[in-house]
Amino acid sequence: MAMRVAFRCLTANFSPVLIQRSRPVQISANRLLWKANPAQSLSTASRLSTALKFTDKHEWVRVEGGIGTVGISKFAQEALGDVVYCGLPEVGQKLEQMEEFGALESVKAASELYSPLTGEVTEINTELAVNPGLVNKSCYEVGWLIKMTIDNPAELDGLMDDCSYEKFIKSLDE
Amino acid sequence: MILRTFSNLCAQSQACFRSARAKSTLSAVIDETGKSGLILKSLSTDIFENLALEDWIHNHVDLQNRNMLFLWSNAPAVVIGRHQNPWQECNLQVMRQKGIPLARRRSGGGTVFHDLGNVNLTFFTSKKNYDRHRNLQVVTSALKGLRPDMDVRATERFDILLNGQHKISGTAAKLGRTAAYHHCTLLCSADRALLSAVLKSTCQGIKSNATQSVPSPVKNLLDEDPTLDCDTIMDSVASQYNTEFGFSSPVTLVDPSDELSLPGIQRMARELLAWEWTFGRTPKFSICTTFELKNDTSICNATLNMDIKNGIIETCDIEVPSDWLPVELSREFSLHLIGGKLCPYETSVIAAEFLRTIPQNKELERKMYNLCRRVVFMM
Repeated sequence: MAMRVAFRCLTANFSPVLIQRSRPVQISANRLLWKANPAQSLSTASRLSTALKFTDKHEWVRVEGGIGTVGISKFAQEALGDVVYCGLPEVGQKLEQMEEFGALESVKAASELYSPLTGEVTEINTELAVNPGLVNKSCYEVGWLIKMTIDNPAELDGLMDDCSYEKFIKSLDE
Repeated sequence: MILRTFSNLCAQSQACFRSARAKSTLSAVIDETGKSGLILKSLSTDIFENLALEDWIHNHVDLQNRNMLFLWSNAPAVVIGRHQNPWQECNLQVMRQKGIPLARRRSGGGTVFHDLGNVNLTFFTSKKNYDRHRNLQVVTSALKGLRPDMDVRATERFDILLNGQHKISGTAAKLGRTAAYHHCTLLCSADRALLSAVLKSTCQGIKSNATQSVPSPVKNLLDEDPTLDCDTIMDSVASQYNTEFGFSSPVTLVDPSDELSLPGIQRMARELLAWEWTFGRTPKFSICTTFELKNDTSICNATLNMDIKNGIIETCDIEVPSDWLPVELSREFSLHLIGGKLCPYETSVIAAEFLRTIPQNKELERKMYNLCRRVVFMM
């Protein structure tokens, strides 16, 4: 756990170029895993999400080059059902950690979205305007919601890694 | 059903001494009752006050180990869902003529017409206990309790149908940080003619990704049985709610304009009333339509293309045949509209100012006036 944290601290300091180069290696390793044992798809998914940090509101954030990409977790999208509309903020909007920044609508229910970090919105996923279902189909990849600056990196330490998040979800059932 | 006012509730609880000194807020009083189930009924028929009270309860009352039912009805109003387009969903001209306000709620779902013949029910729970089907069962059981032979059933989409055909209830919900609310309508004796008139949009050519309503044939419970009035139904639902969840709560009356018990509620009602929320929160959309311009001697077809974001006209192109109106005039007018609200009042002011700049020519003025009027009418 400590090793992983140390590694993440190191990568956070790397330049974006270095991080780009390292990604193809990671992806092909995942493909090997998939071929070797399709039943291990769960661990492949969790391998993808090792770079993610989670909030207790089921949002995730992935940090790359000082920018955080934000989305909702598999648990959240399953609980929501089919997303029919994504109400997202404007580019340039400043968000405080835990501030409401939008809502996802599914079967007549509007579910509020809460910012995992303090920062400014740099990009919103415009694909979701025409295809809101991407949030269900690919919640960790193309179904991302917003990208934002990270004004206070220490806030990341307060978020859950994938193991802690898995434990958290299990505790909700009890 | 025993009806109590909020002040009675204070007197019942330990908080009565505290409220003698400084009036407790509703959430403090609720906590002090120690009750895990409460039923509230609004003293107001103002849609904005009642929507604000819903938000206030959702934000301020501890709902982790508590359920609440809120009963309310409103003077005529059209209520659209969080992500809807009012120009697409209702007849804004008729609403303005009849003084029927537009409200946008914070929950999802479609557009509904409220009047005093419609009962609204809001079920507050923790997110964990959020269960729309169970709530609707409270409603259908309550109705069957009054009339055992009544065919009322909840559908998968959380509507309630009468005789398998007519919609008598629609549902919407909002999920927040730790709590959720599910509200639904119940048509008892609503004005169906007015309902049909206001829920029909007249704005042509809208292209939008806003959530759209699914129109359904509706019926009043009163049509089925003339003895079923709103109060009887509200009492029955309150009773059934207690039975279903094992509570023994009386119905407590609440005044949603009481700022002392509900600090911040007046600001919340003002936010809901504001143009920036009701119209300005409309998802980006465009209008592309043709319309006729007539005068005593001739007719022509004009086109209008607009992009609207946050209710503001971002781009505007009005094209009128050059033999009807000089191209520069329609182009000038289009430019004047950019940056303004898609609002007939504001546009009328802009149009009036623009008309004053036109060179003195009666026929030109009349044609330009026609164009302005036609464009304003579309809003």
